Amino acid sequence: MTAQVVLAATLGLLFALGTFLVLRRDVVRVVWGVSIISQAANVYLITMGGLSGGAPIGSFGEGAPPTDPLVQALVLTAIVIGFGTTALALVLTYRVYEEHGTIDTHALAEADPDRASADGGTANRAVTATHDGPLDTETTDDRMTHGGDER
Amino acid sequence: MTGQIVIAPMLVALSTAILALLARFDGRVEKAVSLVGAGGYAVAVAALFDAVVLAPGGPTTLTYGVSDWQAPFGIVLVADALSAFMLALAAPVVVAAAVYSVVSVDERGQRLSYHPLFHFMVLGVSGAFLTGDVFNLFVWFEVMLMSSYVLVLFYSGREHTRAALGYVVLNLLASALMLVAIGGLYATTGTLNMADMARRLADPAAYGVAVAPTLGLGALLLSVFAVKAGTVPFHFWVPSAYRAAPAPVTAVLAGVVKKVGVYAVIRLFFTVFGGAAYASTSTFAYVGPVLMLLAGASIILGGVGAAGREDVDGLLAFSSIGQVGFIVLPLGAAMTVPAATTTLAGAETMLAVLGVTAALVYSLTHALAKPLLFLASGTIRSALGTTDFAQLGGLARRTPLLAGGFLLGSLALVGVPPILGFFGKLLVFRTVAEGIAAGMPAGALAAATMLVGAILTIAYVTRGWNQVFWGEPTERVQQLIPVRWGRSRFAGDGDAGSSSIAPDGGPSTVTDRALVVQVAVVVALALGLVGLGVGAEVVVDAATDAAHAATGTDAYVEAVAPVDPGAEYSPSHAAGAANASDGSHSLDASAAVDGGER
Repeated sequence: MTAQVVLAATLGLLFALGTFLVLRRDVVRVVWGVSIISQAANVYLITMGGLSGGAPIGSFGEGAPPTDPLVQALVLTAIVIGFGTTALALVLTYRVYEEHGTIDTHALAEADPDRASADGGTANRAVTATHDGPLDTETTDDRMTHGGDER
Repeated sequence: MTGQIVIAPMLVALSTAILALLARFDGRVEKAVSLVGAGGYAVAVAALFDAVVLAPGGPTTLTYGVSDWQAPFGIVLVADALSAFMLALAAPVVVAAAVYSVVSVDERGQRLSYHPLFHFMVLGVSGAFLTGDVFNLFVWFEVMLMSSYVLVLFYSGREHTRAALGYVVLNLLASALMLVAIGGLYATTGTLNMADMARRLADPAAYGVAVAPTLGLGALLLSVFAVKAGTVPFHFWVPSAYRAAPAPVTAVLAGVVKKVGVYAVIRLFFTVFGGAAYASTSTFAYVGPVLMLLAGASIILGGVGAAGREDVDGLLAFSSIGQVGFIVLPLGAAMTVPAATTTLAGAETMLAVLGVTAALVYSLTHALAKPLLFLASGTIRSALGTTDFAQLGGLARRTPLLAGGFLLGSLALVGVPPILGFFGKLLVFRTVAEGIAAGMPAGALAAATMLVGAILTIAYVTRGWNQVFWGEPTERVQQLIPVRWGRSRFAGDGDAGSSSIAPDGGPSTVTDRALVVQVAVVVALALGLVGLGVGAEVVVDAATDAAHAATGTDAYVEAVAPVDPGAEYSPSHAAGAANASDGSHSLDASAAVDGGER
């Protein structure tokens, strides 16, 4: 029973930490936050399967019934998927930095054409234009050289 | 058993993706594999549709147990009329987008595995439509999303990376939430199999299931599906992601991937949670108003957003937020008064069936019209390098066939007979009208929202058409398309083709032959919309069958026939029973969960 209380508290803490990080302006922290939330979801799944039994591998039918093995199989699947998506998110963060020269979410949002026109924001556009001016040439060059052998 | 046909669409998509990956050494071979695979996918879907919906003696349900494990122990794939309808909706879009991709994706794009990714996305969509297991649904969502992440990011420029970042982060969060919801559902119901879950929720006392938590977990799932469908308040990824992706990918995202969210709402809330009762009312009473709210907000926001855009892609992206509202609204309306009687296809039936039928027919309209419009927009972009209204005008004289296709697609969104869109809109309005007659709460508001949405649709469609196709040709159009397509361009002299430019401003690689194929795809989709509109009775019948399958929880449970462990292990002494059980029985989900929690 105490194990479950500890796990419940840990889960609460992990979800809170993840949410806090997702709400940061720095994209790397956002990716960290997403990653922590996915891991918290995995721990949650394990907890849902119960922890009182023995290891679900090996000795069936002797002593206490084993813990539900199904959730552990599910979590393995979820971990593999989470691994792939986290890697993609990190590479994407790097590409965003290459293209925009920033990983600040507010600065990125200002480059959004829908956002700019919704605010009636010629001012916004002007700001981003000055930010981006010197970067434009090198980013397009980067794309030319990196694009082909990326995959 | 004839169950193997169930996995045919998935097998075709999977083998096409792998073969295309292996065939990357030669662009032409890869294109051929992709084309043949898309054709094969359509054939497999047609065979499955024939076996399920057109079976002798009415629609039937086929199941396939993976590795021959019986439900609920193994994963089952279930093809009922609803799954078959959704697959049949996906197939034409997949074929059209594949043909369009072959001529529009350049050499470099091909080296970046465009075609394998495209078919992996189709695989994920098919798996999501066919699975009968909640966790498996999560896995297929991920397969679909993983491919779509890379495809949205495909051009990897400034706008594309920014759009993909929002898309990826939002969907990763949604995936984590879905996992939490699934874990919670497993803990409360003791099963992941949809049919088994439906059975336990319908009779919670017999299985010792606490139903109250499933309402909250269902709400969590609803928000995840709303992200996939792109309804308000989870719509903000839609415009930028649709702008960023290549045109054929946007066509599949808007036409098919969005419908996966709609399908999941129908399957989970009508089939699985439909029988559950919370404090003497059903799930419908709680979810219905929420769905109506989401739908109403989507209709208004999408319509207003689309009317204010200054480019074709933005207009279409916001329009698809609004159109999904029209798809979800009848679902919500039917949920508020599900038991009211109505007549459909000459037979008396529940309003819930009418609501799902309306949503499905509208989905089919949108699944054909929106890809058509996005592909037409892609062709405009490949010929002129832009879709900004300021740069366009007078295209109707230069590209009459493309203009005709675009017009038919637009009219389908408005709902003008004899195009299929008319019947979709008619059924949606009828659902709400009959809901009001049966005492639906806030019915007048829903009807007013729909009317405003319909008017906004007319407004933005007209504006788009006027800006792009009517008026005098602008300078850019004069310069790049000096004469009418089809007069001299395709007659044989390739000189006119050399003047077009690519999206990034450089010289275009688009050839005359490619343009002919692109226009042909658009025209074929437009003819499909008209053809299905003329033969709307067939479509409505198929949708009605699908709606009966969606709302017929008992038939679904019976067809999947999960083994009932509850008889042997009644939950009150599950821990004791699990103790006494032999090895094979300790794998039993419900006993293990109950035992574990004590």
